[in-house]
Amino acid sequence: MKPLAGGTELLLLIRDRRIPTPKYLLDLNAIRKELSYVKLEEDKVRIGAATTLYELSQSILHKDKRYAGFVDVFYGFATMAMRFYATIGGNILSATQYNDYLTLLTVYEPELVLVSKQGERRLTLEQLVLDKRKLAIRPDELLKEIIISVPPENTSSSFMKFDRRRILIAGVVTGAVLLTLNDNVIEDVKISFDMIREKRVPGRARKTEEFLQGKELSEEVVEEAAEEILPSEMERMSDWWTTGEYRLDMSKVVLKRNIFRAARRIRGEK
Amino acid sequence: MVETIRVNLKVNGKQYVLDIPPDERLIDTLRYRLGFTSIKEGCGRGECGSCIVLVNGLPRHSCLTLTATLDGAEILTVEGLAPEGKLHAIQVAFLETRGVQCGFCTPAFMLLTKALLDKTLDPSDEEIKQWLASAICRCGSYHYYFKAVRKAAEYLKKGKILFDEKEVRKNLYKLPLLR
Repeated sequence: MKPLAGGTELLLLIRDRRIPTPKYLLDLNAIRKELSYVKLEEDKVRIGAATTLYELSQSILHKDKRYAGFVDVFYGFATMAMRFYATIGGNILSATQYNDYLTLLTVYEPELVLVSKQGERRLTLEQLVLDKRKLAIRPDELLKEIIISVPPENTSSSFMKFDRRRILIAGVVTGAVLLTLNDNVIEDVKISFDMIREKRVPGRARKTEEFLQGKELSEEVVEEAAEEILPSEMERMSDWWTTGEYRLDMSKVVLKRNIFRAARRIRGEK
Repeated sequence: MVETIRVNLKVNGKQYVLDIPPDERLIDTLRYRLGFTSIKEGCGRGECGSCIVLVNGLPRHSCLTLTATLDGAEILTVEGLAPEGKLHAIQVAFLETRGVQCGFCTPAFMLLTKALLDKTLDPSDEEIKQWLASAICRCGSYHYYFKAVRKAAEYLKKGKILFDEKEVRKNLYKLPLLR
């Protein structure tokens, strides 16, 4: 039995015989309305799991610079037609390195609310997504809500996807950055990539984050972080699309551009 | 195991009550059960967009939708844009800007245009690009489609929605050749 929300991933997997054909599909349309919302409550943003990407784009997430990364993801996500019915919960539970909202949410450190007959369970993203298509969700559970803490005022994020085309791509390299600046000092930074090493799901570049923390933001510091620190913790794979070497090189570029774009957004520059 | 599921569908303004197998896709229902052949199956995995129809006014890939999940939905295909003998402003705009080449993808592009113009009659270039990039045209008529969307928006702004088909066809021959 599999729950069916938008169906843009699940029906493909069934069609391509990538998963054993489920005997039953549970249509979530009946409860979709209750599960699609973006609510701002004090210091939390609560996102319903069945919120379509288009509904996300109409919400506060696309108006506030603190969530600027959501805009980046939206405009690079599949095609416009698909954004009307693909859901954010579905994107997270697809759990591959190509799920852009997973890469982006990794830097926001969300709390995920799972519900079942037994009650509610709250997990972090790392506890839920164990590896590619491996989830800590039980068959009797549904993802109900994604909760993000509202970042501090002088914060912005940036997301970048590298490939040969602008849309309908998996992305050779994708990366996201959540940056908090105090004057020009990096108060807090969170960096994620579609893959760091081994685990084939988005992960955090923690060493690079540690290196950047508390430093003055400058070309030299970011250059050192990208050229020296990042390669020490990142291991990229070669596959049919491109080589690990190229992926690592592009990861450095993505990191640099993401940091400076987030910084520009904090200062209100273009 | 459920044999069939009863689904109420409104397709192009007409109400249907269907008993369908739960694993039937919308494209199969529309093409083979109801005979709306303007919808084509290209890739069958939501990439080419040839199968796009409007479900409750929003574009949706009919090859990635199970009909059983759409109980009570309203569906529009290109056949429902205008009644017999008439043409919708969008169809006229596509004809007049020579947007139609082989015609395989055209229904999808027209429906995307319809959905876009329902939202705004002043779409920016970027918006047109974003919306129409949902479908792929192997003939490469994209630059005509740009013009077609703007022309359709002009017609709709003037309140011209339905045109007489015979009139339009007569005038088509008088149009200057495009360069």
